Amino acid sequence: MATSSLARELKRGSTEVLILALLEERQRHGYEISQLIEARSQGTITFHTASLYPTLYRLEAKGLIDGRWVERAGQRRRRYYRLTREGRRALAAQRSTWETFFAALRSVAGIRHA
Amino acid sequence: MPDWQQQLHRRIEANGHTCDADVLAELATHATLAYEAALAESGNAREAEQQVHALIETWVREAGHLRRCSRRSSAIPPPAAGGSFLASVAQDVRYGLRLLGRQPGFAAAAILTMALGIGAATLVFSIAYGVLARPLPWPDAHQLVRLTEMRQGRTGRISGTVSNGTFNVWREHRTTIDDIGGWLTQTATLTGAGEAIRISSVPTTPSLFRILQVHPLLGRLFDEGEGASAQPGVALLSYGLWQERFGAQPDVIGRVLHLNERPYTIVGVMPRGFAFPTSDARVWTAWRVPPVTGSNGALAGVIFRATARLRTGVSPAQASAEATQLARQAPDMGLAARALFGAAGPIDVSAVRELEAITADVRPAILVSLAAVALLLVTATANVGSLQLARASTRRREITIRAAIGAGQARIVRQLLIENAIIGLCGAAGGFGLAAAVRRVLPSLLPSEFPRLDAVTLDLRVLLFALGVAMLTSVACGLLPAWHTRRSALSGALAEDGAAPSGVTRSAAARTHALIMAGQVATTCVLLVGGVLLARSLIALTQVDRGYDPVNVLSARLPLPPGLPAERWRPLLDGVTDDLRATPGVTAAAYSSGLPFVSSGGFAAFNMRSPITPDTNIEVQATRRLVSPGYFAAMRLRLVEGRVLSDTDGATAVPAIVVNRTFARQYLGARPLEVRIPQGGAHAGGVAFVNDQADVRVVGVVEDMRQDRVDAPPQPEMFALFQQVQPTSLQGFDPILVLRTDRDPARYVSTLRTVLRAHAPQLAVDSVMTMEDRVTMSLARPRLYAVVLTCVGTFALLIAGVGLFGLLSFSVAQRRREIGIRSALGAQTRDVVVLVLRQAVPIVSAGLLVGIGASLLGGRSLASLLYGVGPYDALTFVAVVVVIVAAAALACVVPARRAARVDPLAAIRHG
Repeated sequence: MATSSLARELKRGSTEVLILALLEERQRHGYEISQLIEARSQGTITFHTASLYPTLYRLEAKGLIDGRWVERAGQRRRRYYRLTREGRRALAAQRSTWETFFAALRSVAGIRHA
Repeated sequence: MPDWQQQLHRRIEANGHTCDADVLAELATHATLAYEAALAESGNAREAEQQVHALIETWVREAGHLRRCSRRSSAIPPPAAGGSFLASVAQDVRYGLRLLGRQPGFAAAAILTMALGIGAATLVFSIAYGVLARPLPWPDAHQLVRLTEMRQGRTGRISGTVSNGTFNVWREHRTTIDDIGGWLTQTATLTGAGEAIRISSVPTTPSLFRILQVHPLLGRLFDEGEGASAQPGVALLSYGLWQERFGAQPDVIGRVLHLNERPYTIVGVMPRGFAFPTSDARVWTAWRVPPVTGSNGALAGVIFRATARLRTGVSPAQASAEATQLARQAPDMGLAARALFGAAGPIDVSAVRELEAITADVRPAILVSLAAVALLLVTATANVGSLQLARASTRRREITIRAAIGAGQARIVRQLLIENAIIGLCGAAGGFGLAAAVRRVLPSLLPSEFPRLDAVTLDLRVLLFALGVAMLTSVACGLLPAWHTRRSALSGALAEDGAAPSGVTRSAAARTHALIMAGQVATTCVLLVGGVLLARSLIALTQVDRGYDPVNVLSARLPLPPGLPAERWRPLLDGVTDDLRATPGVTAAAYSSGLPFVSSGGFAAFNMRSPITPDTNIEVQATRRLVSPGYFAAMRLRLVEGRVLSDTDGATAVPAIVVNRTFARQYLGARPLEVRIPQGGAHAGGVAFVNDQADVRVVGVVEDMRQDRVDAPPQPEMFALFQQVQPTSLQGFDPILVLRTDRDPARYVSTLRTVLRAHAPQLAVDSVMTMEDRVTMSLARPRLYAVVLTCVGTFALLIAGVGLFGLLSFSVAQRRREIGIRSALGAQTRDVVVLVLRQAVPIVSAGLLVGIGASLLGGRSLASLLYGVGPYDALTFVAVVVVIVAAAALACVVPARRAARVDPLAAIRHG
């Protein structure tokens, strides 16, 4: 019970990192992000689409990502998100935190992450 | 294709939510793309539609979170670089004001702390400057010296006085001084100018006004030679008396007023603001210092206050030396000297600068208060500094971004300084207002004899002081965060959003923060130790055994018209006390020549054969109290042995005296009640009994009665009955009425006046007061010290407590992620609380150690203000440590609980 709760929390906690990491390469819209998370984690992270937009709006409110409507020829209007300068710093910091966390787990419990 | 936006809108509204159009449009785009993908995969529109409907339902469930908040920028847009210097400063000021406006809690705490700190410092500085440093209002006042004569190291019975012998001989042979002036202070009944009133009158030698280099507003000063007893009296009016009693009429010169029924011709009016020796003085009369040997050959001793003006280039020490040398050649005042000084040994005259002499009593208190408020100001500054430091740590990103977009280090530091200057100036304005408000009520707060309060003003100098303090503290508060910003690496600051568990920059800031806090704890400790010691001293002073019982006693002085013979006023007072005794509730009524806090009643000096070593003659010096028989019961003097004086000791019976314990020990040996004191011979200032043949018998010994100060050693005292003393000896004092009641004595004030009016309508009592009020009033100064230091100490404790709370809360907030990881790795609640306490314990311990050390070192300076408790009193130190530790523990509780409640997963997720 405790283990599954931990897994659930870790997944939810990782959503922000995943989104930030996906936006590091280039700007993307919400649907694309949801597809990429599912594809890249090969189903390990069963991303709940419902939480995508609240997470995006939260990151936007924090100033880590920036969303804007873009209309391209032959395409319908979409809202693209890009990583802000602050978002880039935050992503670096979050990566280091996860490193620390896994290092701690590794040293204590012999757990390794991929 | 279905209209997804409309469907979404309907479904979300049906669930009681609203979404803005932008969010709906975005979700609709997502739905459209999902539908297209599903349709492409399955080719079944219905199936695709169902999939999207399922998706919409998940959104509907989360509709509460589908809200895009406009991003509140991390800061108001920082001022742009460039532009003129003034414009950029104005920009910085506007930016600083807006930032503070965004954090009203921080701004209010910082400004209030600074206002209290600056207000207290400004007030005490204005007192210290006005009282101790502002020059006296006479030309070249630094050349004025106050003289004190001592014999065998003992000052006159009235301290700070010289004798007529010394005064006259020095005046005659002076070389180091221009001149010397003397004066007495008296209260006299003024008649001949409206209703009779009691006013302060100052018999003054004509030389005094020349020394002070003052000029009259109207008329002239006294001429040399005026003031001799054979001469007609002349008087100078104060400006106030001239206004109130003489209608400010210019033709007042030459008119006659009566003081104690003696006529004085008005020769001049002094200018407004002339106040000598104090602002109470209403009239000055010409007075001549009598020679030691009168025209009839009798020796006359008188002590009074005197001031001299030094010749240019002469130091007070040179003047002292000359005066001492001359005084030792002055005619011997014989036993009068013993009566006045309690010793007849070699004379020493000290000359102390007038300003120092006037303020000697209050100097230690002002300096202690100055030190206390300086420490308070340091604490307040440190607290605002640490608040700023905490704020700066959270602002590091903003500041570093500004640095990254081109703001120079100087510009950033300037911005921080300007922000602090705003706080400092607001604090200074508040503090100045606070000081001004307290200044108005100062006279009612301070003891009535506090000197030079009229010189305490909040003028430009004080304003500049307040501004200077504000600027200094602003710079101190502002430089700390600026310094830390400089130290913080750009990347480290920007990466902080991720809140690394530990880092070089955070630990450096934390160290400074911890040092400030330890300093605050140390300051609080010093202030509280001082405050508690003074408070304990005050309690000891209040509870000390004074040798009599001041509870339920009413006393009043009865000024008698000069020349009223004892044969007339004694029966009158006997009648008054008889009537008072007959009043229900009055248990005893009496009158005497002296009463604690009012008047000692007189001195006696005489020779007698020592009862201890019969071969030697001893010189007895004692306070002489003439009393009516009921006095012992009225004051509840405790009888040690023998009996008290009573009505059975008739006028012509064997003379009987009661002595106090000190008298008995010092002069009478082991069996005082067997001592017989022969009369006759010289008894200058002694007691002349009606029965002048029989030896005087000591019939009783009572406990020592404290006259004024309980910390002064008790003096030998002797009590004799009015009825046994020759009426010719009953001159030169105003009798004091004393009544003991079995309920609140203040209720008998009107009874006292009524009874007196019935017996003597022309007399009026003054100084009507309960004995307890007299005790309380005498403790005004120690009470003030205790209150000031305890208040300042408590305030410092509050500031330190809030500071510690802020530090720990900030630290817990910063270490949330670390605490979360520790908890995730198995740390228990106890471990987390210990983590927080481990930070507080070294700070508080270090602060306490330094504070105790400083208190021990500074103890000696406080010793002169203490009574009944030593400066190193262990109980006080323990109590202060306990209070500070308790306050610190209280400050730790909330942050520790907060740390214990950190949800590890939430902490790891959000940081």
